[in-house]
Amino acid sequence: MNEPPLLLALLGAATGLVGALLGLGGGVFLVPLLTLALGVPIRAAVAASLISVIATASASSTVNLEKGLVNMRLGMTLEVATTLGGLAGSIIAALLTQRQLFLIFGATLGVMGAIMALRSGTRNVIEDLDVHPGRLGGRLQEGERTFVYRVRRLPLGLVASLVAGAISGLLGLGGGIIKVPVLNAFCGIPIRVSAATSAFMIGVTAAASSFIYFGRGDMALPMTAAIALGALPGSLLGARLSHKVETRSLKILMAFVLFIVGAQMAMKAL
Amino acid sequence: MKDPSLRLERAIEVALSGGVLVSGLLLLSGLVAGSHGLLRSGVVLLMLTPVARVLVLTLGLFHERDFLFGALSLWVLAVLASGIWVSVHL
Repeated sequence: MNEPPLLLALLGAATGLVGALLGLGGGVFLVPLLTLALGVPIRAAVAASLISVIATASASSTVNLEKGLVNMRLGMTLEVATTLGGLAGSIIAALLTQRQLFLIFGATLGVMGAIMALRSGTRNVIEDLDVHPGRLGGRLQEGERTFVYRVRRLPLGLVASLVAGAISGLLGLGGGIIKVPVLNAFCGIPIRVSAATSAFMIGVTAAASSFIYFGRGDMALPMTAAIALGALPGSLLGARLSHKVETRSLKILMAFVLFIVGAQMAMKAL
Repeated sequence: MKDPSLRLERAIEVALSGGVLVSGLLLLSGLVAGSHGLLRSGVVLLMLTPVARVLVLTLGLFHERDFLFGALSLWVLAVLASGIWVSVHL
């Protein structure tokens, strides 16, 4: 390991913190940072990122479950599509050039960022507690108040999860960057529940790909360990802090992240 | 309906915290001692933590007689198992 372990741990902590706040694994930040800033080979960076995503997802889920923010049945349903997408990702990868992939990905994120920014003031929750949340919906406690939310446009959520799974398989991310905005903007899920449910799912998505990288021997163990060790406390802190951050600020932060990552992907393609 | 669901959430919390805690300790001692074996076990345990989570959820859903979601969960478990199978045979 050429990089100092402390620097890697700090990197893991920072990406884990932001990841846990927004329901992402942090892979979208880690892979470019490791490859571009530290010169780590792409396969080793992706492998380390996948392990860090698992650490972030697992640690933040313990906090989110305790807070009752995770919609486990919704997560499980979308995981079916995500895992299928993961398998499909490797097939699609052969059909598209890397440049086309980056362009499609960058454009998608840009559009999603715009939608999140425009919708930052609207809320998905229903205040009437007599409304039945349906089989997949649920209740959300916010301070003293309880809200109901219903899941809308499930097929769209499933397609988004399929795409997220495919991108995860291609680029070594958790796929939360696709799932959280779609669940929040189109499927009627409150942002905190979207983030917590996404975080719950991405560990499984990343685990599926990580076995392959591990089996191929692509994992640089000391580097991966240092990053994961930073991601654990970082994501625990992020998940604990999430309720202190206003809903609106969370959406704006998400829009900002989408724009930055989208622009970076598009620039790689051009 | 609510109580068994809550119990299931607690069981999953325990599985996740256990996996995270033990693998974290293994990774830390592996880095300090410079031991490849400890690092390897820590990473493998961390990779298996989401699998354990899906396993607990699958068992819990069948126990709750929620066969639809139980079957979905079983599918995810099967995909994960096939991933492990492939990685062992690479």
